[in-house]
Amino acid sequence: MYELIINFLEGPVPMEAYLIVSSIMFFAGIYGFIARKNLMMMLISIELMLNAADLNFAVFNRYLYPEQPEGMFFTLFGIAIAACETAVAIAIIINIYRNLQDVDVEELNQLKG
Amino acid sequence: MDYTNFFLMKEELSLIGVMLILLVYDIFSGEKGKRHFQTLALGLLGLHTAVNCLPREAFDAFGGMYSYKPVMTAVKTILSAATIIVLMQVNNWLKDEERRNKQGEYIYLTLSTLLGMYFMISSGNFLLFVIGLEMASIPMAALVAFDKYRQTSAEAAAKYIFSAAFASAISLFGISLIYGSTGTLYFDDLAGSITGSPLQVMAFVFFAAGLFFKISLVPFHLWTADVYEGAPTTVTAYLSVVSKGAAVFVLFSLLTKVFGALMEEWQFILYALVLLSITVGNLFALRQKNMKRFLAFSSISQAGYIVLAVLAGTPQGLTALIYYVLVYACSNLAVFGVVSIIEQRSGKTDIADYNGLYKTNPRLSVAMMLALFSLGGIPFFAGFFSKFFVFMAAAEQGFYVLIFIALLNTVISLYYYLIVVKAMFVKDNERPIETIRSDRPAQIALALCMFGVLCLGILSVVYEGIGQLAL
Amino acid sequence: MDSSSLFLVVLLTGITLVVAGLGMAILISPRSFNLQKTESYECGLPTKGSSWMQFKVGYYLYAILYLMFDVEAIFLFPWSTVVRDLGLAGLFSIAFFIGVLALGLAYAWKKGVLKWM
Repeated sequence: MYELIINFLEGPVPMEAYLIVSSIMFFAGIYGFIARKNLMMMLISIELMLNAADLNFAVFNRYLYPEQPEGMFFTLFGIAIAACETAVAIAIIINIYRNLQDVDVEELNQLKG
Repeated sequence: MDYTNFFLMKEELSLIGVMLILLVYDIFSGEKGKRHFQTLALGLLGLHTAVNCLPREAFDAFGGMYSYKPVMTAVKTILSAATIIVLMQVNNWLKDEERRNKQGEYIYLTLSTLLGMYFMISSGNFLLFVIGLEMASIPMAALVAFDKYRQTSAEAAAKYIFSAAFASAISLFGISLIYGSTGTLYFDDLAGSITGSPLQVMAFVFFAAGLFFKISLVPFHLWTADVYEGAPTTVTAYLSVVSKGAAVFVLFSLLTKVFGALMEEWQFILYALVLLSITVGNLFALRQKNMKRFLAFSSISQAGYIVLAVLAGTPQGLTALIYYVLVYACSNLAVFGVVSIIEQRSGKTDIADYNGLYKTNPRLSVAMMLALFSLGGIPFFAGFFSKFFVFMAAAEQGFYVLIFIALLNTVISLYYYLIVVKAMFVKDNERPIETIRSDRPAQIALALCMFGVLCLGILSVVYEGIGQLAL
Repeated sequence: MDSSSLFLVVLLTGITLVVAGLGMAILISPRSFNLQKTESYECGLPTKGSSWMQFKVGYYLYAILYLMFDVEAIFLFPWSTVVRDLGLAGLFSIAFFIGVLALGLAYAWKKGVLKWM
């Protein structure tokens, strides 16, 4: 037992561990996007999905293709893109809040047919 | 690094120049200068289109990050011409009391989506592609939310940005898996390294979902009707024509160039999507009461026809695709031009409100009728030829059953386009829309669209010219 | 001493120090109770009302403008690692990048976003 823990702590982290984390993040994001009713929580779920993709890029770059930092670049741009998306989405959510005094998706029902 | 590479991307540079000039002008001009802002914008954009309309030799810049082919000039010119027409239609609407202070925003946001599409079209690497895609969709959400005090506008914007962000997150995850399995993001290198392993197929499906969302093919179309209805009408026109046209072209070049090895898989997927889009779009269009929702579903089914050209995957398919986008831009912008003029002056958007339009506004009704005939594909309007070429391209690859179903759907679509025509010409209305005098730029825009609808089919030189570039 | 036993030593020392410190405090500190101790501490001023109040939503504009320059930083870091090799051209590129962002800020300023409401 002791040996096992020490080996685990000392040895390199396998790539699969990171991929498991990123997959969990991604699918948790999808679940949250579908299940949550609050616009803010949905936005956070989308961020989780984007971060899962960014994590994947960084991990693949580090472990599989360390010659060129292509994946790292993609991660940086991914972060910037996520920030832009959040800024616009929050502005829109605030606009909705001003009109409705609520950010529940169930309230967004004026357009249908 | 070789900085002269920047000067190779002429189209993008000149568009950035136009945007910077307009931004600086808007910041430093007084009340008086604001009046000429739109004229300046139209003039600069016209100049930009004219300067860049001649094709050049194909080249790669920045080590393959940016790649240019002569056919891209055709697409970019069509997109910027369509943007000019949208800006002409918007002229009067932006001069309203409540929007006069925000006319600058409208124009930069539109131009930055256009810039994003340019980058997306010319990208040679997934990084530039993703940046272009996001640049084309994030400002779009702000445009949809442009009517700040109208709740439906904000609601439409929320639906748009959330679906767009969700789709692009899935797409990014797909790209990360492609990177993981091949180790490169350059399209040229990817073409050789994609072998069709299960991981790559899954990555491709994830990635393609993002593009299908932008084209609004059927399982990804749920946002379309709501966003089209809630957005300001001119934004809807832009969304349905320019945004869609760019995405379809990119889909074609990515599928044939990068994912050539997965041809069987993507042909199967596209087959199903085309079938669903054409049929579902038509069936839902039949039961719409609101003009903008009606046009939303009509545009979903039109997207199905365009993707039929992607399915062919040959140079002939590419020619048919670009030609279809051009004709579709003319007809759809004409329809939206009439709808937006009527909405601005009378505030009415239901199909029932168009009853008896011919009696009060004969010119608008005739323009609308011609455009709808072209959308429906009645012979000797441009729309007929564009559909014909798409079917030809698909027939060469042997998709006979699909073409047969598409033909059947053309008949259904004729039926609902004729409902609108009947409402305008035959039905009576106790309180018809009063006679409207539209403003000069909108008239010119409508006249240009009419020219396209009537003459593009007869001028075979257009199709042949695109065919030359697409080879 | 190999690294695994070193790790264990460090771990145990850390735990011992924390437990000993906290335990001593619990054992020997004098205890008293008054009502003020349960209140939340806010710069020494007595707090008013519930902390679940709403604050002015107008401040989000500053937050978004801040976000713009905040995210700019992630492009400055990779640039800074190669700035020596790039020379003057690198300086001009980043100056153009910041200039475009500053133009955005100037635009917001002109539109009256920065006015304290």
